Amino acid sequence: MDELINKLKKEVITQLNLEDISEDDINPDSPLFGEGLGLDSIDALELIVLLEKNYGIKIEDPKDGKKIFHSIRTMAEYITEHQKKA
Amino acid sequence: MTSMKPIYINGLGSVSPQDMANSSRFLSEVKRSQSNRLACIEPNYREFISPDILRRMGRLIKMGVASSRICLEDAGCMMPDAIITGTGLGCLEDTEKFLTTLVRNREELLTPTSFIQSTHNTVSAQIALLLKCHNYNFTYVHRGWSFESALIDSLIQLRNGQASTVLAGGMDELTNVSFAITQRLGHWRRKPVETLELLKSTDRGSIAGEGSAFFLLSSSQSPRSYAELAEVYTFNRKTSGKALQTILLDFLERSGIKPGDIDLAVCGINGDTSSARPYKELADNLKNAGIAAWKHLSGEYQTSSSFGLWMASMIMKHQLLPEVAVIRKSEERPFNTILLYNHYLDLNHSFILIRKP
Repeated sequence: MDELINKLKKEVITQLNLEDISEDDINPDSPLFGEGLGLDSIDALELIVLLEKNYGIKIEDPKDGKKIFHSIRTMAEYITEHQKKA
Repeated sequence: MTSMKPIYINGLGSVSPQDMANSSRFLSEVKRSQSNRLACIEPNYREFISPDILRRMGRLIKMGVASSRICLEDAGCMMPDAIITGTGLGCLEDTEKFLTTLVRNREELLTPTSFIQSTHNTVSAQIALLLKCHNYNFTYVHRGWSFESALIDSLIQLRNGQASTVLAGGMDELTNVSFAITQRLGHWRRKPVETLELLKSTDRGSIAGEGSAFFLLSSSQSPRSYAELAEVYTFNRKTSGKALQTILLDFLERSGIKPGDIDLAVCGINGDTSSARPYKELADNLKNAGIAAWKHLSGEYQTSSSFGLWMASMIMKHQLLPEVAVIRKSEERPFNTILLYNHYLDLNHSFILIRKP
């Protein structure tokens, strides 16, 4: 899990072009949106594409997004769960 | 000639291949390079834009926002009544990114950021968003006179009293892809050239360039005023024979001046022998005027006349013609009336007349 979390941190920083933020600055349990990293709706779309492109995961129900993208850890858990099912 | 409300240039801001960080130096140190393209000397954008907003911006947006900020600060204006821009090709970097992803991913998995930022009006929109300015906002995309179209609309807004201040600008960026395509079309020198010697050499092709320049136009004169923006005129056809002479003389007559009144003609001479004739014809018709040029300093691009107007405004305010810009000297006299003439591929021609306020 830790390995995936670190990988995800790198990918999120690159995908969202988060200048001035390093992997160490991201707490895997902090919220990605609002407080924490302060991401917005455009970033949410970027993260949806990231999951599909890098992990082959398509989010079927948009309502799940809030839970999946709560933090880096919830994203990692969702990916792990999805990969087990596959 | 009809008497029209005078409009003043009260502030300037530019990001260009020349060092604009300190405008008081006004081209005292120019960039010298051996190349067939010129890239902007970009400022530290963090001085103008917060990092969370900066991360989504392409290069042209950053250049546009930074130069608009410099301009507003120079004019001491917090909130313009209108933002009007002109761009020939818009945000190319983001357009290329979006289209490349579209092709590579077979029209799937497209990310929104580059698409959102790829539209031509992104620069004026971002300026408005950052200023929280809900006023008139317009972008003109008219090839080689996009910037002039923005100026014409600005004059209409100001003269009709719909605005008392307008932030007007022109901007274009050069990317590797756009350079390669236009190189194939024969627009640029095949071999690198000493850029400051460009206008002395006789060969086909110019040097590619890029930049962003903004002007705070106002219906009120201020102690900061650089010049009065008296008139802007565009025409869109190839010139031949005496066509340019007729158009020039008509324009001057409508503006209430004679050829001998022009103290300096600032021309878009770009070193390409195939585009030199109209400039020579203009110079022949303005025998008493000095001739200056700017494209060896900025490179050629659709909105390079915005750099030309920046330079002309600086010449007027400081009553100083930098040696590096001189093509033909005239007898010593003050710069009270300056005519800027530019053409893009002998298709999009423009005259911009400025006077001492």
